[in-house]
Amino acid sequence: MPTTPLVKALNYWNRKLHIHIGLFLLFFIWLFACSGLLLNHSSWKFASFWEEREQTTTQTPIQLPATLDSTLVIRQVVRQLGIAGEVSEVKMTLDSVDFRVTVPGHGRNLHVDFRNGLCTQKAFRFNLWGKLRTLHTFNGASKTHPESGPNWWVTTTWVLAMDGIALGLLFLCVSSWVMWYKVRREFAWGALVLGLGLLGAGYFVFLLRMV
Amino acid sequence: MKKYYPLVRTLHLYFGLFISPFVLIFSVSVLVFNHAGFLDRLTPVKALPVEKIKLDGIPRDTSDLLTAKAIIAKLGIEGEIDFISINEDHISFPVLKPGLRTKIEVDTRTDSVRISRQEEGSLRATSYLHTMPGQHNARLRGNSIFLKIWKLMADGVVYLLLLLTASGIFLWWCLKVERRLGLAAIALGVLLFSALLLLIF
Repeated sequence: MPTTPLVKALNYWNRKLHIHIGLFLLFFIWLFACSGLLLNHSSWKFASFWEEREQTTTQTPIQLPATLDSTLVIRQVVRQLGIAGEVSEVKMTLDSVDFRVTVPGHGRNLHVDFRNGLCTQKAFRFNLWGKLRTLHTFNGASKTHPESGPNWWVTTTWVLAMDGIALGLLFLCVSSWVMWYKVRREFAWGALVLGLGLLGAGYFVFLLRMV
Repeated sequence: MKKYYPLVRTLHLYFGLFISPFVLIFSVSVLVFNHAGFLDRLTPVKALPVEKIKLDGIPRDTSDLLTAKAIIAKLGIEGEIDFISINEDHISFPVLKPGLRTKIEVDTRTDSVRISRQEEGSLRATSYLHTMPGQHNARLRGNSIFLKIWKLMADGVVYLLLLLTASGIFLWWCLKVERRLGLAAIALGVLLFSALLLLIF
């Protein structure tokens, strides 16, 4: 069957983009591959982080806003302490507010007492291995309020980057199928190899829960 | 270097084809994690009818895990026991399969069992697989055959992916015509990567 110019052009760009998107994503793939291995092998001694974490507790006087609305208080406290990060686990009572401010590898649990205007900050900081692990899972998603999304612009940027990497990897997969299809006679085992991969992945995603 | 090109190309092609469906699972699950609210609106989790069963005695074993395994064996349920919550008169634990969450609640005074199921769907199945085996409950994790196999698969996929990046660099370097643009792509990637890390840390 003759190849039309359009198909030729699509094949050309498919191959070119496969090469260059792959190279563009190189460091991201290494980061997520290595941190994924760390997450799946918490027993690896060289990468232990929890025992090595640094913990500090500090108290700071805080100027509270006139209206004790949790969003206003948190915004003011974060600004006065000069910190930034993803805010989560907010618990407000009549006398106080508790919340957590997180960046990968560095978390702060804050307790603001409205009666004496003091903010108690319990911070923990991980080593490089801990930072890598938390970076892998850092997306600002709340298990209790999944619709809320991230509340720190850096988290939003990171989430967008992760989406982009995921879409890039999706493209690399599909483009590899197209590239193989072009040389399927030369690499005849490709059908079997791809079939095995599809069967394995399909079993876990679609079939396993039915058996 | 050229003499290795055919071998590296063959390995890159076959390994790449084999792991591509698994890479799809990991990629799709990233979108599922990052847009959980959207997914909930698109395909809500479906609660299936609750079953209540009375057992002829609760099988007790030497550990909580073995007891829980004996209970699900008696009930004819298979899956990964996620965690176990136990007190004087109750044992409860979720039994998970990708896309299906079954909660078993046993009243040890009456030997009655409440089984509730949630059909989570294929997209959430990918996110479950992405997080498994993971860093939590390491002592319990891998108590089902499927997760033992998945653990090996997940590790294998990552190692092969790392190998693919190395072989990909080799293959690209052999293509002289693509070198300049490739270097620009790497530089751009490094720039974005560094900028994001600087922003976060």
